[in-house]
Amino acid sequence: MNTNLRKLRWLFARRRRDAELADELAFHLEQEAEERGYDAARRELGNIGLIKEDTRASWGWTWVEQLLQDVRYAARTMRKSLAFTALATLSLALGIGANTAIFSFIDALMMRSLRVGEPEKLVTLNWHASISRMRGSVLHSGSGSTWKEGGGTGSGIFPYAAFELLHKTEVFSNVFGYFWIRSANFYARGQAEATTGELVTGDYFRGLGLVPAAGRFFVADDDRAGAAAVVVLGFDLAHRRFGDVASAVGESVLINNRPYTVAGVASPGFSGLDPAQSPELYIPLHSGEDARSFDDEHYYWLLISARLRPGMTIAQAEAQLGPVFHRWVESTAADDQERAHLPQLVLKNGSKGLDTLRGNFSKPLFVLLGVAASILAIACANIANLLLARATARRREMAVRLSIGAGRWRVIRQLLTESVLLASIGGAAGTLIAIWGVRSLVPLLSSATRPLTLKPDLNSHVLAAAIALSMVTGLLFGLAPALQATRVDVIPALKEVRANDRTRRFTLSHVLVVGQITLSLLLVLGASLFVRTLSKLESVQLGFNRENILLFKLDAAQAGHTTPEIFSFYRDLQTRFGSIPGVLSAGVAQTPLVGEGSWFTPVVPVGKQPNPDQDTRVLMVGPDYLATMRIPLIAGRELDDRDFARSAAVAVVNEKYVKAYFEGRNALGQRIVMNMRPGKAPLEFEIVGVTKDFRYGDLKEELPTIAFVPFNQIPFGRIGEMTYSLRTVGDPLAAVATTREIVRQADARVPVTHITTQATMVEQTMTQEILFARLCSGFAILALAIACVGLYGTMSYTVARRTGEIGIRMALGAPRARVVWMIMRQVAIMGAIGVAIGLPAAWATSRVVKSFLYGIKADDPSSIAAAIGTMAIAVLVAGFAPARRASRIDPVIALRSE
Amino acid sequence: MNQKLDLLQGTLDLLILRTLLGGPAHGHAIAKHIQRTSEDLLQVETGSLYPALHRLEAKGWIEASWALSDKGKRARYYKLKREGRKQLSSERSKWDAFARAMGLILTADERS
Repeated sequence: MNTNLRKLRWLFARRRRDAELADELAFHLEQEAEERGYDAARRELGNIGLIKEDTRASWGWTWVEQLLQDVRYAARTMRKSLAFTALATLSLALGIGANTAIFSFIDALMMRSLRVGEPEKLVTLNWHASISRMRGSVLHSGSGSTWKEGGGTGSGIFPYAAFELLHKTEVFSNVFGYFWIRSANFYARGQAEATTGELVTGDYFRGLGLVPAAGRFFVADDDRAGAAAVVVLGFDLAHRRFGDVASAVGESVLINNRPYTVAGVASPGFSGLDPAQSPELYIPLHSGEDARSFDDEHYYWLLISARLRPGMTIAQAEAQLGPVFHRWVESTAADDQERAHLPQLVLKNGSKGLDTLRGNFSKPLFVLLGVAASILAIACANIANLLLARATARRREMAVRLSIGAGRWRVIRQLLTESVLLASIGGAAGTLIAIWGVRSLVPLLSSATRPLTLKPDLNSHVLAAAIALSMVTGLLFGLAPALQATRVDVIPALKEVRANDRTRRFTLSHVLVVGQITLSLLLVLGASLFVRTLSKLESVQLGFNRENILLFKLDAAQAGHTTPEIFSFYRDLQTRFGSIPGVLSAGVAQTPLVGEGSWFTPVVPVGKQPNPDQDTRVLMVGPDYLATMRIPLIAGRELDDRDFARSAAVAVVNEKYVKAYFEGRNALGQRIVMNMRPGKAPLEFEIVGVTKDFRYGDLKEELPTIAFVPFNQIPFGRIGEMTYSLRTVGDPLAAVATTREIVRQADARVPVTHITTQATMVEQTMTQEILFARLCSGFAILALAIACVGLYGTMSYTVARRTGEIGIRMALGAPRARVVWMIMRQVAIMGAIGVAIGLPAAWATSRVVKSFLYGIKADDPSSIAAAIGTMAIAVLVAGFAPARRASRIDPVIALRSE
Repeated sequence: MNQKLDLLQGTLDLLILRTLLGGPAHGHAIAKHIQRTSEDLLQVETGSLYPALHRLEAKGWIEASWALSDKGKRARYYKLKREGRKQLSSERSKWDAFARAMGLILTADERS
């Protein structure tokens, strides 16, 4: 209260108070001198500075004053050694910046709760199966993601029957399912736009505990076959298209050319349960999906979440539901093989939404965080080292301070202020780097097959983390040097002699250098592994010519075209694209060859049983596809117009297929069969051509067996989106405008989407590898540079300290080479220790990054050798300059200066 | 009487407050008064006197003002405030109790 105010006033009246104190003490001295004489009085008074200091301390607020004083002093010291400050700040900024940027992703991915009612009550349902591939299990087909976990497979997709089963249990107060609509053509008030949506069960919004911004949410009755088609719009979409969201309610809209009535609008800020997706419209499950999806209990597709009943824990719910689910899933197994690896139900906390994205991105992010943390550790060690060297240079200053009565703690505090100030500047610069880093990391982390729609930003969590990181690093690298600096022998330091300076061979600074070498070795090794992975991937033989290919997609089905008319629509467009000037030929296929995954199913010669381990990739194509992609034929012919006119059941297979199923014999004229699901009519095709092997699907996998069939044969499902490939003479993108015009003339309702080139598409499949290779190389070079600076600094200091000793040795006849050897031996020992610690550490960490490698093993000997070699050269180069300097010491000068 | 006693921790505040009960005084006079009254047994170090005075002032028990000394020099005079008086009496009763307790223990053998 009052006292604090008074203290505050005193703080501002400080100068006056200082003068008054001086006067007061002067008066005391004068009085005393009158009685006992000046000398005695002066002696009795003692250290006036100390008395003043102690007295000021009793005014309170001294810590604020001292802090300001320390900061001023620190700023002055930093200005005096600009090079040091710049180097330290830069390395810290990079370290803190990288950590903050990556942390902001982790924050967005894992730490944000959903904006729904009582998120802590939500659970997401998953399953775990003990086999790594699902072929031959109860999952016959699926739509959604599965991931590898603990030697088996995990996933969150279920058949609809499982949803109905769970709906009947008593464990949850609500169970709801949903399924992504990857592309939805939304048409309202005369305007179409492509967006994404979600199919949801009737309980979805109620289960999430949401309140509509306008209109109503779904009720159970909306979600049944034959119900009136209604849609709930996301807040942003409704706002964008109808202005006032309330006016959207009751509007008639077209979604993928089917009429819907807007029932309501979701609350602002809600965009589904997956942080990676942002659906803008919600449709009841039954009005958007075929009956097949509901009846087939081997088709896994529906994502399920639930709200726990009050008082129920996740573990209890899992214990109760596990056996129920097990009994059901066992009843769907057809044979012993399927029965052997049944999926088991796993319940996960759903308060932060789904973790499909976490499954995909958390590991790369943690690897990157590890790399960033290493660089920060190296930077810290380096600054600590530089500060240690400077502490020695400031021995005299410290001795003066201590001898005139400064407490050790007070000096330590001042030194720590310096380092924390340094770290704060680094942290501020690092935050700027982080902002830039986040912006440039988003496109780098997302790839064509896994677009990243996370919205990382620098929120309060992230800023707090950055500030905490700066403070901690400041204390971390400042403490040891501060302790060492204040542990001086006052007298010899003041006299500036090297009094009984026990030249310890290995000091703290050597330990720090060894630590830096160890961490740098890890980073260099990581970089070499990632760079080699990338180069292996880039040198993968595609088997087709990726250059000068324009890719784009059309979806005529969404605009209302149906079979069989849609075949000629697509076929006619292909012909017209082929006649564009500058386009050599045009092809059409269901998906691009590389960059979007692939379709696969068992395809075997008639009369053979399908082998569950050998699926064949099937691509539905138009005529002349092989010629357009320049895939060489080795026998027979390619699919041409005649096959389409007759809709003949013919196929072209690749060399690998012939090897796998015909032992290399002539396959032309042989008949193969596909689509052998129970209850479906198998389709037979005659092989008319064989191609050389090429890539279709993931580049990292083994070469697949492949079959092409005419797209009007439709072995699976319905025909929808098609991808056109145009081989051009020059820049493929030059043909885009003409292409759009042709499509507009054919049908203005069909938008041209996903325009890209095949070369870009191939590159995008490697974005993660490219990112890892670039980032790790950059960081490794940085780490190496910092470690070398540290080593150079330490050795220079060692040489400077041993000048006298070296002088004596040389005076006694030691040759220069011997002096060089003496210093280099120390360098080599430090390097060797660093490597000796680094190798086991590298072995341990390489297991973590194993899954990111392609074509090489984590313990690849040549990568390890290259890393050690690089490290050795860097260390020896950094150590040689001080060693050479040592050998140039003039014994006469060295001894005289002693 | 050449023997000098070290001040017990925390007693300096009490001595200063008691001295100021006799009227305002400057630092030097306070030190001399304590020394004289204790028959030179207690000597107050200047290094602890001034921090103590300023501490008491910051606590609001005494207040200071500049005035001319008997010899016509400017000196900083300290004066007991009401809070200081209250503090003095409570400290004093604590000290009395403490001194009595010490006395009882130290003379216990002689009386039995």
